[in-house]
Amino acid sequence: SDGAPGPGHWDADAAAGGLVDLAVPGGAFSGRRAPCLKNPVLGPGVLQAIRIFHTRQPSLAPIPCVPEYGGKVCLGLIPKEFFQFLYPKTGVRGPYVLGTGLILYSLSKEIYVITAETFSAISTIGLLIYVVKKYGASIGEFADKLSEQKIAQLEEVKQASIQQIQDAIDTEKSQQALVQKRHYLFDVQRNNIAMALELTYRERLHRVYREVKNRLDYHISVQNMMRRKEQEHMINWVEKHVVQSISAQQEKETIAKCIAGLKLLAKKAPSQPVL
Amino acid sequence: MNENLFASFAAPSMMGLPIVVLIVMFPSILFPTPSRLINNRLISIQQWLIQLTSKQMLAIHNQKGRTWALMLMSLILFIGSTNLLGLLPHSFTPTTQLSMNLGMAIPLWAGTVITGFRYKTKVSLAHFLPQGTPLPLIPMLVVIETISLFIQPMALAVRLTANITAGHLLIHLIGGATLALINISATTAFITFIILILLTILEFAVALIQAYVFTLLVSLYLHDNT
Repeated sequence: SDGAPGPGHWDADAAAGGLVDLAVPGGAFSGRRAPCLKNPVLGPGVLQAIRIFHTRQPSLAPIPCVPEYGGKVCLGLIPKEFFQFLYPKTGVRGPYVLGTGLILYSLSKEIYVITAETFSAISTIGLLIYVVKKYGASIGEFADKLSEQKIAQLEEVKQASIQQIQDAIDTEKSQQALVQKRHYLFDVQRNNIAMALELTYRERLHRVYREVKNRLDYHISVQNMMRRKEQEHMINWVEKHVVQSISAQQEKETIAKCIAGLKLLAKKAPSQPVL
Repeated sequence: MNENLFASFAAPSMMGLPIVVLIVMFPSILFPTPSRLINNRLISIQQWLIQLTSKQMLAIHNQKGRTWALMLMSLILFIGSTNLLGLLPHSFTPTTQLSMNLGMAIPLWAGTVITGFRYKTKVSLAHFLPQGTPLPLIPMLVVIETISLFIQPMALAVRLTANITAGHLLIHLIGGATLALINISATTAFITFIILILLTILEFAVALIQAYVFTLLVSLYLHDNT
């Protein structure tokens, strides 16, 4: 039955001084649980300190609750029940007549003697009644306001605590909702990565293609150049040999032929006017 | 009823049994113990008054002086409530008895002085000589300060007794004057009655003030010695 006490109980073991654990029913004052109470000097003081907190009912008999407001009184002294008690026999004016009669009887028989004290009594009681009638209600309201302030303070603490917990609950709920939507983030990231991979692949593919084409172009251009060089070389060789093959005799004959041709043309031409 | 003026100050006894002890213990009934968090109006007002008074009275003390808080608060509550109850007609006020006031004043004063001498001997002895006295006056001043120190408990007790007793006596006398004047001249009696009312108001104030003064002086002696 030991261990952490319930939420409504005062956790005495946590407090300094090792006071009694009140969660133990009926065993609060046994020596095993309250060694401090064995000390004859401090025991009663500890007992007084314990009694402040009511964790058990104040009495074991089934007595009715203490009423919140006092009973109604007449003249500030006599409870109304007395008037009700006399009403069936003497009516409404009965108690007042009784009171007046008693006062007059005691005065006339000098049971109550009028002395100096009578006047001081009149003055004191009169003053008290005046003060009570005038300021009684406001003092009562002031006392109620004190209690209300105390309750309001505690209520504020309670409300602040509730608000804090409510905020924590809301934050937790929103966090949970966010966790539900986390997969969007992952999808986006996945897509990004896929696109990046695709891009890199295509880029490399293109580069490979370019490199290969470069090499092939190089071979082609080398071949073309070779062919061109061969062609030029062949043409030069042919020209050279043709020129070499033209002997001096042939050259003279060719030139004479050309001159004769030109003379013929010259003969034919002068009949045409020069424009 | 009352044979002479001073009969109301005699220690009350009923059929030979001294009931003055009951009368002295009676005011404690009027201060109920606050048992709940939110109490009834009486306890709430008393709590508020005690908080107000204790805060104001213990503000000047250091940690050591504040251990006297319970004593001082009990003192002011007891003297105040006893004085106020004594204003009711036909009641007995214990604080009119010099024996009781001496019984309150001497132990409290002695407590403060002994505390001072025990923990701060040099400072307590230094209180016998005010600062800045010229050299030739020192012996006389030490004697005067010693006398003033030993008069303190007497003054405390006699002040309280004299004030309360004088107030009660005045009320009694003026009440008697009113009674005697009623047959002679009603107007004068009425004026005297007005004086009586004013005096009663004064007595209510005096009752509270005397309690306060007593406690304040004890607190002052304590402050000097802690």
